[in-house]
Amino acid sequence: MTTRRGFLKAAGTLTAAATVGTATSACAVKDPTASNATGQDNSAERMRGFDRILLDAVATAVLPASLGASAILAVTDAFVAWADGYEPVAEEMHGYGYADIRYLPADPSPAWRAQLTALDLLARKHGMDGFSMLSLAKQQELLGVVLRDQRGDRLPAPLGASHIAVALLAHWSSGPDAWDTALGARVAPGVCRTLGDATRKPLSVGTGPRA
Amino acid sequence: MITHSADIVIVGSGITAALMAASLAEKTTKSILVVEAGKPTTPFADRVLARERWRAYGESPWKQDHLDDQNATGNTWGFSPSMNVGGLAMHWGGVSPRYSPEDFTLRSLYGIGTDWPFSYDDLDPFYQEAEERMGVAGEQGPVALDPRGKPYPLPPLPINYNLAQLQQWATKAGIATWSTPSAKNSVQHDGRAQCQRCDTCYPICPTGAKYSPDFTWGALVASKRITLVTETLVRKLEADPKTGRITHATGNRTTASGEEVTIEGSTFVLAAGFVWSPHLLLLSTSSAFPNGLANRSGLVGKYLAGHRNVNAYLRLPMELFPGINVQHSLVSKQFMRVPRSSRYLRHDLRIWESSVGREPRLRGDDGSIQFGDALMKDWQQRAKGATARVRGYYDVLPDKESALSLSAEKTNRFGDPMPNVSFKDALESATLKNWQEEQLRDLFRTMAKAGGGEILRMENSVNDLGQEHPTGGCRMGTDPTQSVVDAHGRAHDHENLWVAGAPTQPTASCCNGTLTFVAVGLHTAAAIASPAV
Repeated sequence: MTTRRGFLKAAGTLTAAATVGTATSACAVKDPTASNATGQDNSAERMRGFDRILLDAVATAVLPASLGASAILAVTDAFVAWADGYEPVAEEMHGYGYADIRYLPADPSPAWRAQLTALDLLARKHGMDGFSMLSLAKQQELLGVVLRDQRGDRLPAPLGASHIAVALLAHWSSGPDAWDTALGARVAPGVCRTLGDATRKPLSVGTGPRA
Repeated sequence: MITHSADIVIVGSGITAALMAASLAEKTTKSILVVEAGKPTTPFADRVLARERWRAYGESPWKQDHLDDQNATGNTWGFSPSMNVGGLAMHWGGVSPRYSPEDFTLRSLYGIGTDWPFSYDDLDPFYQEAEERMGVAGEQGPVALDPRGKPYPLPPLPINYNLAQLQQWATKAGIATWSTPSAKNSVQHDGRAQCQRCDTCYPICPTGAKYSPDFTWGALVASKRITLVTETLVRKLEADPKTGRITHATGNRTTASGEEVTIEGSTFVLAAGFVWSPHLLLLSTSSAFPNGLANRSGLVGKYLAGHRNVNAYLRLPMELFPGINVQHSLVSKQFMRVPRSSRYLRHDLRIWESSVGREPRLRGDDGSIQFGDALMKDWQQRAKGATARVRGYYDVLPDKESALSLSAEKTNRFGDPMPNVSFKDALESATLKNWQEEQLRDLFRTMAKAGGGEILRMENSVNDLGQEHPTGGCRMGTDPTQSVVDAHGRAHDHENLWVAGAPTQPTASCCNGTLTFVAVGLHTAAAIASPAV
């Protein structure tokens, strides 16, 4: 079945992607994660943030090492800012495809926080030191066990991720920098940029400005 | 009780209403009052941030853009509950093709459906007016396929690198394509910015490059040429039982006060779309008009039309870079201008770049979970090559009982029954549906083969949920027993009542409809402004 909404999701990850803090835009982009940034009422107090030592360990285990330590740190910072900026049950975009008003899900962060704790407990249960103290190979092995039932053909939208490791991967991979790395070209999907440059073949990564 | 009064009263503030108001404001000296049930949605200054939050979280960028108790039920696939200043077109995609000349003469040419009471050539000047008022950027297609009286007002959006590769492939498959006409500024225009390929035309353009009706309303209100009354729901039109003339409208504020409102006018224009225009007529019952207004034919709410699609993703042996401009496409009208044949099929064709099949994944080919550089290496491998998306809309001819009715179960806060929408194909369309869809799938297979590619997957429209770019409910015609309004949108039964745009259309063609809705509305505006009226 094809819906306009389905198309946009399929077309992708490219248009409805999280790009917080990762891209330079021709538009004057403000911080989209600013609390209550769109004027919606979100007065309920929420716990924000994650056990950063554990999250950094997960990030190092799942993100490409070739990004470099500082980029992995930046990607993790952006993920935390994104999760903290989420407004539970804000209205979803409606329009073509259905007439009822739908709402975004509950805050996924409490479950994600619990999963970090569980990873640590699991490591100790196997007689190992805490998760963050494990070797990279051991961390990846444990994560492989925890994620064994995850769908594998594509990453979900970050909000739909049922595990924080997948959410982190999904958030990073939906951004323009990750796509540029995958494509080997400076395309910058979803970033506002000059119309005229669209006609030329994008330059290779590392060779100049984005197409 | 609040009372408003004007020479011309327009109900609704969507794209058709906005451009009709602009036209009327220039062509008459009469006072114009526009009544909108909702309020203004996200102001322009907030749209950069609203876009970012939509991209980050899927939040609606359009705040307070509907009324919770004012909605339709039934086959509402093509319907939006948007009820705000600017209507649904605050989040339209800006795609602005014209129908083809055949759409106006289906009965004469193909022996099916209905002829419109005017021709494509009659509508051409109003298409042009609509394109100029919105600022449509377009490329003249082959004249035989894409006839028009004057050039597009703006140069076309460029055929970007990806589309250029796809255009070569389409040519190889024997299909003439060109840049899809769009109400997006290919150059700075009308005080609005040039398109910056933000690729979020739907649902929100952060730069103002895409036309939306709020720009027109802002200018008209600033010039004091119209009065825009918001948060006021028109619930009933009252007609003189003897003359049939509409004397006034009544309704309520949609604010907490719910105060009663009376609106007096000489001319009433319903420009509230294919749901709310017929809905208001059906609500407007009286002892003289027990079936509602303009309903002597019993056809108010009937003949809802639209189109469906077949969609495919194709893997092609070329190098594309998804993300250069995802929402821009190639278009062809080659299959809209077909000769009469034994079986009827007309459709448009659009071609896009796509990232389908090229995304990152958690598991490699062997099914094992992959992280880090292994995941990236797998992604880089998958990202090579090209995916194209192709889609054809094919027209669906409406049955008389493809209809909007008043719900027995659902009412708004004032007790008004809400609309229920139920689409039904005419027999000729129902009979042809499977064959038509298979023809489209065959075309996509042929296209894939011509490019040395393969089909990744094909999909049909969501069945039985509704239709796209819907029209009808107050269809136009010359015979008052077979139509609700005349060729200019004037109700057969009420000399000072007009219905504008989509609801009046007998059919909905096989391409995006907004430009035609507006052109038909401008055709109506010209008649209203004519000294003879």
